[in-house]
Amino acid sequence: MENSIKNSIKMNKKKNGGLMYKFGVWDVIIYIVMITFSLIALYPFVYTLAGSLSYALDITRNGPVFLIPRQFSLASYHVVLIDGRLYRSLINTIVSTIGGTVLGLTVTSGIAYALASKRLVCKKFFWTFNIIPMFISGGMIPLYITIRMLGLFNNYLVYIIPSAFSVFNMIILSSFFRGIDDSLYESAILDGASELKIWISIYLPLAKPALVTVALWIAVGKWNSYMQTMLYTNREESMWLLQFYLMRLIKDGDVPSDRGSDVLAINSQTLSFAAIIISSLPIMVLYPILSKYFTKGIMLGAVKG
Amino acid sequence: MTNEKTSSTRLATDKKPKRRMTANAWQLVGLAMLSVVFLGLFNYIPMAGILFAFKDGDGSFNVVKDMLSAPWTLSNFTNLFQDEIFWTTFGNTISINLLLLLFNFPMPIIFALLLNEMQNKPIKKAVQTISTFPHFISWTVFGGIILLMTDMRVGVVNPILELLGLSSAENPVDLYLPQYFYPKIIIASIIKGVGWGSIIYVAAISGIDQSLYEASAIDGANRFKQMLHITLPGIVPTILVYLLLNIANILTNSFEQFYVFQNNANLETTRVLATYMYDLGFGSLRKYSTATALSLFEGIISLVLVFSTNTIAKKTTGRGILY
Repeated sequence: MENSIKNSIKMNKKKNGGLMYKFGVWDVIIYIVMITFSLIALYPFVYTLAGSLSYALDITRNGPVFLIPRQFSLASYHVVLIDGRLYRSLINTIVSTIGGTVLGLTVTSGIAYALASKRLVCKKFFWTFNIIPMFISGGMIPLYITIRMLGLFNNYLVYIIPSAFSVFNMIILSSFFRGIDDSLYESAILDGASELKIWISIYLPLAKPALVTVALWIAVGKWNSYMQTMLYTNREESMWLLQFYLMRLIKDGDVPSDRGSDVLAINSQTLSFAAIIISSLPIMVLYPILSKYFTKGIMLGAVKG
Repeated sequence: MTNEKTSSTRLATDKKPKRRMTANAWQLVGLAMLSVVFLGLFNYIPMAGILFAFKDGDGSFNVVKDMLSAPWTLSNFTNLFQDEIFWTTFGNTISINLLLLLFNFPMPIIFALLLNEMQNKPIKKAVQTISTFPHFISWTVFGGIILLMTDMRVGVVNPILELLGLSSAENPVDLYLPQYFYPKIIIASIIKGVGWGSIIYVAAISGIDQSLYEASAIDGANRFKQMLHITLPGIVPTILVYLLLNIANILTNSFEQFYVFQNNANLETTRVLATYMYDLGFGSLRKYSTATALSLFEGIISLVLVFSTNTIAKKTTGRGILY
């Protein structure tokens, strides 16, 4: 901490050249406030991890665990991991995340390419058609009726198809595509390439950072989606998504029927802790590695308007 | 020069395909048509379903048939507006969203301004990365963690309140009680949303002309003054856009965010239009038409708010936010 503050003073001198800022009381306060806030944002997950690794009876007897389990136990993980419903909902979620991301990215980037192109016929019509749904929506029930009419009710495809295209993501991608130099297009077209070919082999590779960002957003949205099980299925276990399983466990105390060998080691709360950690693991692992991509796209959209 | 040339040649070649479209033009239209297909199926067709708000289709399980043959009526709206639960829910929604606007809207702005004052790149980056993380966790999970943290037995909030003298070990505060719902959801939303919300402002700040800072420093402005007179005015357009979006969404909430905290004991306080709509349509009564009437009501208010705030922005600042 002390060292870093010293460093930052040095950096100040370097960065601002002639303009030197004093590292004063205000800076100390700002650093303390910001670091404290980050720790507060991180703490719920540390707390959950500690709770998930605790022996349930110890928590009931000796009170909450703050940071480090007093009596270490993997029993909660064991019970959650032998629950067949977890695997069913996990598989459904993984398939819908992968399928939804691949389809979503293909559709959204294709539409974005066309709508960014100066050569699109009836461009104004297509843009208007895409913007109107941002202001007017049918709402929950009419969409539900439509889904039933299309035969998507209680169908696994309901997790992939209706949400495949997002106008918001399309606008971000198309603003990125517009930023790509036209001369690349001109020379490709002289070589006899088609629009589809140019989209796939020139524009997509060049837009890789924006595509990764949008792909991550779609994937996280899919991973976190809950309402679709609530609305568009009969809520049989075979149709559950992970978040639905979690909500049942956390909110309704719908714990696994096989409670393992040591019943004192677990209770509905330690099971919730463990299930939360298991289901958030992919995001917790991927986020630190890919964090720059997670936030890049929104900057893109913001700067380019 | 070269640009002009290529665009003029393109104009010349564009003239011809107006009558006969080339294969390439068809490919572009084909791609663009994908949006018509997806939006048509899942946005425009449901828009026609708004008419269901004027049909007597409550309690039915064959909504398609009702949509086509049930009689026209305004009773869905009168039923809705005579419903006491609707008005408490409406009140809850407005008060929660106003509180969120009051507490949670300025937070990301302050956060971004303070972040901008941090000169140490690694610490700044770490703060930004960590504070953004909760955004990517679902409300089911985050709300679940908050429920566990505020639990009387396993939660850590009660011991903290004890330290502050607000609670005692013998007589702990039951944070599940309805009166603690507002502070709970506001604090949870701040923790979850501030980092992500600040990104847009950080981006806006990075777009501010650096020479303004240099000039003001020569004029003797300190950093606090610079923040107040250069940085803040520099991001006002961004703030306005987000303020407009927030005001337009005054009746809108995320379903899970509230559903996760709901139980039979606190329903009166925690029910918002988003969850009420679900209860109406998919609860035991299956009031499809009334629920549609409710979503139409919500949609119209949002639309009116968007365009009126835009007009106000246009009149006062000289430029609209949308158009």
